[in-house]
Amino acid sequence: MSRVQRVSLQCAGIVVTLVVWEVVGRIMGEALFAPASVVVKEYLELLRDGTMLAELLGSLQQMLVGFGLACVVGMPLGIAMGRSRACDVLFHPWVSMFVVISVAALVPLFILLFGSGFAFRVAIVFMASAWYIVLTTYHGARGVEPRFLDVARSFAASRGAVFWKVLMPALYPYLITGARIGLVHAIRAMVVAEMYVIVGYGGLIHKTGLNMSTAPLLGLLITLMMVSLLANTGLYVAGRRMAPWYEERRAGC
Amino acid sequence: MRHKTVVLYTLSILAGLVLWELVAAQFSKVVLSPPTAVATHLYAHTITLELPRLLWYSLGHTALGYLLAVAVAVPLGFLMGRSERAFAMFDPIVNALYSIPTIAFVPFLVIWFGLFFQARTALVFIMCVFDILVTVSAGARNVERTLIDVGRAFGGGRWDLFRKVLFPASLPFLFTALRIGMVRAVIAMITAEMFFAAVNLGKYMQAAQNRFDSAGLLAVLTILAVVGLLAQEGLKALETRLLPWHVRH
Repeated sequence: MSRVQRVSLQCAGIVVTLVVWEVVGRIMGEALFAPASVVVKEYLELLRDGTMLAELLGSLQQMLVGFGLACVVGMPLGIAMGRSRACDVLFHPWVSMFVVISVAALVPLFILLFGSGFAFRVAIVFMASAWYIVLTTYHGARGVEPRFLDVARSFAASRGAVFWKVLMPALYPYLITGARIGLVHAIRAMVVAEMYVIVGYGGLIHKTGLNMSTAPLLGLLITLMMVSLLANTGLYVAGRRMAPWYEERRAGC
Repeated sequence: MRHKTVVLYTLSILAGLVLWELVAAQFSKVVLSPPTAVATHLYAHTITLELPRLLWYSLGHTALGYLLAVAVAVPLGFLMGRSERAFAMFDPIVNALYSIPTIAFVPFLVIWFGLFFQARTALVFIMCVFDILVTVSAGARNVERTLIDVGRAFGGGRWDLFRKVLFPASLPFLFTALRIGMVRAVIAMITAEMFFAAVNLGKYMQAAQNRFDSAGLLAVLTILAVVGLLAQEGLKALETRLLPWHVRH
């Protein structure tokens, strides 16, 4: 299929979706599901009002602290687990347990532990994203071609050189994929935590859900969607820049 | 080798529990209960059948939502994976919807389905359906071309190709999709019970939170982790049994 064909089909898909949305919205009414045209008008209103963007910025800042911590802890841990059998055995059972635990179920416990402020939100985001980063990095570190390492060793490379010049470049794709998966989970966790204690952007979603019209609610969801897509694309582009040999690697978690 | 791994993992878990016990000793019981207190809580409330009964009730909406998601996502995933046109048309839409955190749909689900069983089932459905859809369509797209070409060369019809080539070749992805969906369903199970009217295990957690009972909260978390891991490992074991030719690392 040519590029033109593909793009026109993609546009057609979007147009069809918008039309279906408009028609279904007209039939169901604004209180149940606002049609696209109403949401566009409402969205401009939301942008002018400024509350939405202010709350979003505040929430994202806190989320990034948690996500940053998750990367700082998760990436070295994943590498250590992938390259050392002892670390693997020591941490693997706990990582696989943490990764299946629901973020929502952690919320009450973390409220007891950290209150419901900054530390709480950072901790929730950390717990939601760190283990995906660990597992992706781990799969990458385990799968590094032994031949590459052998070549480096036979050229008498020091341990440090092997790590920085062979292992790390081979790991870039996985680090970036891990960060992307982690970021998706971080954004989800941010909204979960905020909807539970009703603060920030999640709190705004909760409050807006009580309105008579669903148009502002849909507007908030669209913003969230754009943030998530932008973050994902941003990391993808950054990945291509940093490591041109980067291609999508999916590790089964 | 396998035997040794089991022993080492057990040791790791024991070491973690000891560490937790030592850390918890520094905190008030309200904030962080030691594992011994959690075990006592679990035992006391399991023997009265309270926790098993709540878990059983929780599985109702989880199973229904999961099955609905499988029924919708698997055929759609095959369609998107095997038809270039359908993929080009719907992939951007699916990606866009997938990137919205599911929990943000809760206000909508309240408006459409109320606060009880239907709303919980709907949340489980939404939480699993995209993960399954994305995995199945990626799998169906990546089926080796040569396999299909050989099937065609031997004069296989459309239906034959699907049943004898495409379907068996997609089974590994199908299983991965079912497994990812299953883990998401267990996560959605408790989320749904906390974000609509609190019921079953969600209500239990809320009550524990209100009386500052961290042992109760950790007991439910333990149950959830075990159920999640059992679901995941169970499907992995089934996969090894049914698809011996597919080696998963």
